[in-house]
Amino acid sequence: MSNFIDAVSSQAFMQNAIFGGILASVACGVVGSYVVVKRIGYLAGGIAHSVMGGMGIAYYLDRPPIEGALVAALVFALILGWVSLKMQQQEDTVIGALWAGGMAVGILFISQTPGYSADLMSFLFGNILMISSDDLIWIGGLDIFILLIVFLFYKQFLALSFDEEFARLRGIPVERFYLLFLILVALTVVILIQIVGLILVIALLTLPAAVSGHYVRSLSLMMGLATVLGVLFTSGGLALSYQPDLPPGPTIILIAGAFYLVSLLVTRFGKKA
Amino acid sequence: MSTNSVIKIKNLDFSFGGPKILENIEIDIQRNEFIGMVGPNGSGKTTLLKIIMGVLIPDKGSVKVLGNPPSQSVQEIGYMPQFASFSRDFPINVEDTVLMGRLGKTPSIGFFNKSDKRAAEKAMNDVEVLDLRKRVIGSLSGGQLQRVLIARALTCEPQIMILDEPTANVDMKVEKDIFDLLKQLNEKITIIVVTHDIGFISQYIHRVACINRTLTCHPTSELTGETIENMYGSHMHMVHHHHEGEKK
Repeated sequence: MSNFIDAVSSQAFMQNAIFGGILASVACGVVGSYVVVKRIGYLAGGIAHSVMGGMGIAYYLDRPPIEGALVAALVFALILGWVSLKMQQQEDTVIGALWAGGMAVGILFISQTPGYSADLMSFLFGNILMISSDDLIWIGGLDIFILLIVFLFYKQFLALSFDEEFARLRGIPVERFYLLFLILVALTVVILIQIVGLILVIALLTLPAAVSGHYVRSLSLMMGLATVLGVLFTSGGLALSYQPDLPPGPTIILIAGAFYLVSLLVTRFGKKA
Repeated sequence: MSTNSVIKIKNLDFSFGGPKILENIEIDIQRNEFIGMVGPNGSGKTTLLKIIMGVLIPDKGSVKVLGNPPSQSVQEIGYMPQFASFSRDFPINVEDTVLMGRLGKTPSIGFFNKSDKRAAEKAMNDVEVLDLRKRVIGSLSGGQLQRVLIARALTCEPQIMILDEPTANVDMKVEKDIFDLLKQLNEKITIIVVTHDIGFISQYIHRVACINRTLTCHPTSELTGETIENMYGSHMHMVHHHHEGEKK
């Protein structure tokens, strides 16, 4: 543990990693809370995985993968949003198809890129230790955008996730806000891919919010606590993985998962007692 | 047109593309009326309410709410749905739930303001849930939740309230409390309430609108004891008949 603290105080890459975790936790706490209460984890998972297509294409074109990820996340968020609004009966099938299709596109493009596979693991599992100061600016900018939108339309998003039918009857343009919300999910996914990679995004997006939801009585508190938990999980994962030289992404996710299970058991057991 | 007419429907037909769900509906609801709407399941009650609120568009006929097309007047209608269409474990307290009713009346950007909070407080006070304001909705009893939903419908300061089976999941005592409350509200607000319990509510309402594809109105003065039984009985019979027809 003292080695880890030494590394954080002396190594720029460790400072970037910690700071990246904190910035990512903001988006993940705020947007993740909406995802959990609106119960669209599967749809968010579809967005996260289909992003592989965009990253693969960007990689093939020799562009930064994050650019491809951003474009693909926005495009797939809008497609999936449209599907879930217009094709409710087949929603899960269509999400599954786009989920796998996006990944397949990404793998094909990566396979056609000379010297592939080197970075494949970092697409899939992320690498918080590789976060540069440029990445931090990206992530910080996306955070600010997400917070701004949520501040402006907090009550519409609350109404939409709480009671969509009632929101519609009060004259809220529900479809437009739903698509705007999915854009926020897409941006958050892009941020989190830097931290834990696209396979594990969905866990980091939902678990801090889900744990937080066990204890709080309002959506805004849920977001706050989820953000704190996100910081705890990412920093904890970094600390635990440092000494034995484990990949930090999976370590972060396992910590989050363990917290969630314990919290679930405690709250269930507490209610029965 | 009479200035006291709040909802005026003429010659209305509606279908979801197949057989007519509603046919030749005519009704003229006056200000401060208390209308009970009855009819078997699937008779088109909720469909008609959705047309009045501008969610569904009729195939034919005219609908005026407060003299305007429904989509322009929906902000003036307080609606309490038949089923709470939200999950009871959502992290939200009574006050924030009631505030949702202010949507459409409050500026679209930013948080709820002071006048929203005042309106919510008044609505909670009117339905006697003010002391529950900080409770999460998951901890409320069925009767308390119904009151909160009425407060949510009230908080937009509506001219019309539409309640779709407000007492479906509560016991007799709570049902009476809720209708006493509605009777009070009716001094200022026109109320339409969907119910199955026509015998019980006949002491509260002015007119009964019986819907089963078509609509027939009866003033409650014409309805006492046996006639109510017969009317509802004959409707039940019609449902039975319909089901047989559909199976073939």
